[in-house]
Order: sequence, then structure tokens, then C-alpha cells
Amino acid sequence: MVVSIVSTGLAIGCIYALIGITYNVMFSASRVFSFTAGTLGMLGGVLGSLFIAQMGMPVLVGFVLVLATGAIFGIATEIVAVRPVLKSLDQHLYVLSTLALALMAQQFTAIEWGTEARPFPRLFDIPRGGFDQQIWLPMLACAAVIVGLELLYRHTLVGRAFLAISEDNYAARAIGLPERRLRMASFALAGMIGALAGFAGGEMLLAFFGNAPLLTFYGFVPVALGGMGNNRGAVVAGLLLGLFQQAANFLVGGIFASVAVFTVFIIVLLARPEGLAGASLQRRV
Amino acid sequence: MALTRRQALASAGAAAIASKLAKPAIAANEPIRIGYLPALTGPSSSTGIGINRGIQLAVQEINAAGGINGRQIELITRDTQSDPTKAVNGAAELTHGEKVSVVFGPVNSGESLAVVPLLARANTPQVHPCWVDSLTDSQKYPMCFRNAPTNQQIGAAANRYVMDVLKRKKVAVISDTTGYGTASVNAYVPMLQAKGAEVVYQGNVDAANPDLKPELLRMQSAGAEAIMPWSVNAGFLSRIINTRGDMGWDVPIVGQTTLGSGQTMALLEKPEYWARVYPNNFRNVCYAPGGKLPERTTAFRDRLKSANVDMRDTLLWWIAVGYDSPRMIAEAMKTAGTEPEQIVGYLNKLKSYPGVYGDITFSPDQHNGYPDDEVVMVEANSLKDGAFNLAPGYSA
Repeated sequence: MVVSIVSTGLAIGCIYALIGITYNVMFSASRVFSFTAGTLGMLGGVLGSLFIAQMGMPVLVGFVLVLATGAIFGIATEIVAVRPVLKSLDQHLYVLSTLALALMAQQFTAIEWGTEARPFPRLFDIPRGGFDQQIWLPMLACAAVIVGLELLYRHTLVGRAFLAISEDNYAARAIGLPERRLRMASFALAGMIGALAGFAGGEMLLAFFGNAPLLTFYGFVPVALGGMGNNRGAVVAGLLLGLFQQAANFLVGGIFASVAVFTVFIIVLLARPEGLAGASLQRRV
Repeated sequence: MALTRRQALASAGAAAIASKLAKPAIAANEPIRIGYLPALTGPSSSTGIGINRGIQLAVQEINAAGGINGRQIELITRDTQSDPTKAVNGAAELTHGEKVSVVFGPVNSGESLAVVPLLARANTPQVHPCWVDSLTDSQKYPMCFRNAPTNQQIGAAANRYVMDVLKRKKVAVISDTTGYGTASVNAYVPMLQAKGAEVVYQGNVDAANPDLKPELLRMQSAGAEAIMPWSVNAGFLSRIINTRGDMGWDVPIVGQTTLGSGQTMALLEKPEYWARVYPNNFRNVCYAPGGKLPERTTAFRDRLKSANVDMRDTLLWWIAVGYDSPRMIAEAMKTAGTEPEQIVGYLNKLKSYPGVYGDITFSPDQHNGYPDDEVVMVEANSLKDGAFNLAPGYSA
């Protein structure tokens, strides 16, 4: 039982953490919480199944296409749902615009792909059992994203520019950084990370349109717990969420597992509104 | 030339008077209009597409044989697109605009829930094959008839199979968290207990939950001898079957028809996991132990084959219920007449109408026409040409 809680819990936790990072990458570039993060995860699974299982493409080609589609969806989100409402951030219109886009994408998937879950192909032709690829693939994807982002943000000029606009976009623009293009690049990057989450977790979650709201909710929990914009916090909180959820599945089961997860979530936020790892916000007065 | 408001009203009034006057003159030979509300597109369309093949064949056959007392049937179709709102619009159009004599459909419960009260208010006779119990009520909807089983009958058949045929007493009942799932568990658990079963596990689980092992372990440790899942979600059902297979647990799974669907099969980790899975089905459209369909159904299947109706990507019972419905309505009109009261009066006294799908009986107080004992369980992995083998233990 403990093995099952730890392995499956960590695998699901990695998917949640990746969706949390997707939220964060978009948030850092625009101060917008885009609720398309879960939709990107769902699309990663559905498109992976479409390209590889339905259309018979090689795994690598399918994978690259999934990432490319995720990036395009990210850019489209920025143009359609984020840019028009940036001027009035304080009215929180982005909640409506990004949620509307997410719902449109979800409904479109339901109509074109169907409302039934479909199988996601096995990516590596190795026998099932024990520490299966559906467990270690999400972990591998999560580790790759953490390392990749660390290298990007710390060691490349573009990465530093990303950090600059997330710190203070007025100052960044004042020193001549192309804020709009960097924001679009951030959304493309977030699109790829979200799609990767769904792709790596495809075998576990299946290619199912209903994964979008699930990932949108459970992916938001690590962001709220880990501190907004804080990727390390999101990873830790995502893994804890996965473990806790799986433990609750075993101990209380059924719908009570979700109740347990959200009870803990609310208690943590009541105790530490800025998140477990977030710094408390200073407000200008 | 600009049309004034007065002119427009005058011409509309004239048209209305003209249409009223003209009606009796052509009524004797004009086709009989039957309204039809299938979901031919959208997420719930697989049932509608299957039913549609049967209904089209039946209408062709009736018309080719001279129609109803010399009048042809005209099927007025409005695709509900699997959407209750569009079903309501379609129903309003059929009754008020097209003035149909009777409506068949909708063919999905969600749409029927919206349409049944509307047709009752319009005093239009309706026949539908939807399972939700509240969709017939001889007091509230005196013109609405169901030529298919109710959910109550579906659950009772599964319960009978588990307890009387498989002789299992300790049962686990699981569903997803949809309205259908929770309502089914709430209805079937007391029925099982009333029959003397011990329900050792009862749970509603989110259909998107990727790992059902905790639930199955809980069932196993509670001593469950049969799992009864109630969900139409193929992902959820396949996870139950896969987890049972991975655990190496040899327990029968008995429940919803979707257990035997192609979508469920596609999600299985190994084909052999589908053994000892028994979904609901209907005796008349199943292969008996010798591998034969009942005589009536064999003749029907031959007719389908000669009419080039594809049976491989759908289910025989969908085609059968589609085929039976217009024939039963035509029979009523031929014998009693085409007025609403005449159709309802005939159906209220219908006794063992020999459909391919089942033998339908109505009475003034009972508008659920499907017989209990024709709801059976089948072997999920035996699908051939749209029909299944009866589950082991049934007599031929």
C-alpha cells in the first residue's frame, strides 16, 4: 500500500506540479492567472493520442507536434484572452477571458474528439509491471522541466529577460526589452510545459476531454500553496498534493478523498494566505 | 416596393385563413407525419445513429408495402445534436409547426427529460426508448409510452444475475459522481438488500480519478464476491476492469451496458481482462448458448443484411428498437386511426406486441412496456455483428 501511495502519488503530483509551473510561467510574464493551464494538459493527452495512436506517427514526431501545438495554443491565449485585458488587470477580467477560452477549447475537444476517454499509446515498447512507464514518465518530465527552466532563467540572456519583465515590466521596457515579444515567448513556453504534462501523464489520465477541469483545479492548488510565481514552491506543493491525495484515496476513499484534499487546502490558506513558500506581499499605501 | 405593416398583417391573416380552409380537402391522401427526434450528431450520437438505421429501414418497408391504409409515412426528423435545448426546439417545431401526429424520441434520457413535459402539454402522443424512471407517468404524461426498460428494470436484472444465477451474496456497488451514477447506486443498493444481499462496499468516485486500486482493495478486503459498476464512462469502467486484472482478482463484474462497448475495450491493458465482465443486454437480441439468435431476430438480421445495413460498428438492440418503434406506431394507426386519442387508446391496450427488441405490453396505468425477464446479462467479450452471447447460467 505504501509503495502504491508513494509511486502513484508522486507521479500524479508531478503532473500537478507541471500544471502549476504552467500557471506560474504565464503569471510571471503577464500578472495574469490563465485558466487555460489545465486545458493545455488535457490537449497534451488528446493530441498525443491523436498523432501517435490515430494517425500512426512515430512517437518522437508526435511528441514534437504536441509541444508545437501547445506553444501555438499558448501564443493564441496571449493574443486572444490576455492582451486585450492587460490594461485593466485590477478588474480581474482575465478570469473571464481565459476561462472562456479554456471552456471553448474543452467543448471543441468534446465535439471533435468525443466525450469518451480514449487510450493513450504506450510510448516505450517495454513490458508493464512494477515501476511502470506511466509512473516514471511524469517524474522524468517534471525533472526535465525543473532543470530546463533553471538553466534558462539563470544562464541565458533570454531567461534573464523573462525574469526582468516578471520583476518589473515598466523598468524592463524602459531599458528597451521587447516586453510584448517576451510575454508571447513566455506563453509559448508555458504552452509547451502544459502540453508536456498531459503527454507524460497520458497513459495514466487517458486522452479525455474531462481532464481539463480536473487539471485546472488540482494544478492551481500547488500555485496557491507554493506561492504565486514560485516554481520551486509549486513543485514541492504539487508533490505533496499528489501524495496526500493518494493517501486519502486509500484511507477514506471515494468522493471523500477530494473533500479531504480541499479541506487541507483551505486550512493551509487560512493559516498562511501567501502560500507555504511564498513571501508575504508588501502593499503600497 | 416597400411593404407596410398593415399589408404584411393582412397577407399573413389571409394565409392563415387559407391554410385552415384548405386542410380538410387534402387530408385523406396526404402522408402521415411522424415526428422523430434522434441525436444524430454530438457526443451522445452513437445510440441515435444505431437507432436511425432501424427506423429508416422500417419506414421504407411500411411505405413499400402500401403505407398505412394507403397513406405513406413521412418521417419529419429534427436532429437534437445531443443537446436538450435543441431537442426542445425540435419538439416545439414538430408539434406547432409541422403538426405531426405522433413523436418518436428523443433517444437519450437527458433530452427526453426536457421534451416529455412539453409534448404532454401539446397533447401529442410520444413513444421513446429512454431509461430514466421518471420519463413515464400515466397520470402526468398520459400520452407518453416507453418501449424499452426502465433503469429500475436494468438494475433489477443485474441484481438477479448476481444473486440468483451466480449465487453471490456479498456485493460491491460502485459508480462515478454523475447524476446517473449516484442515482443508480442509491436505487440499486436497497433493491439488493431487499433481496438479501450484503452490500459490503458502496461508493461514488470521480470518473477522472486515474487510480482505482484503493477502491478495489477496499472491496476485496471487505470480502466482495461481485463488483457492480454503474457508469456510462468508458474510462472509469476500463480502469475498474484493468485494476481487477492487475490485482489478479478473479471476481465477476456485472453492470452497465457500456462495460461491453468498443470504447471500453479500446482502453483495456490486455484483451483477456474482458473475461468475466457481464453488461446488461436484451434476451431477444442475444446469442443463446448454441450460438443462435431467436427466430424473429434471425429473420430481422437477414433483412438488415439484404438491405445492406451496417451492423459491425453499432449494436443490434439499437437498430432493433429503432425498427420496432415506427412499426408499432403504424400498427396503432392502421387499427385505430391517426388522431391522438385513437393512437393512445390503442397503445393503452397493447398486449405482447412482438417487436424484435422485446414483447411490448401497455395498460392505461402502466406505460413502461418492456418485460422484466427479457433484460439479461451478456458476456462482454463476445460481441459479433452487434450482438452478444448470453452470460453463463441463463437457459436458452
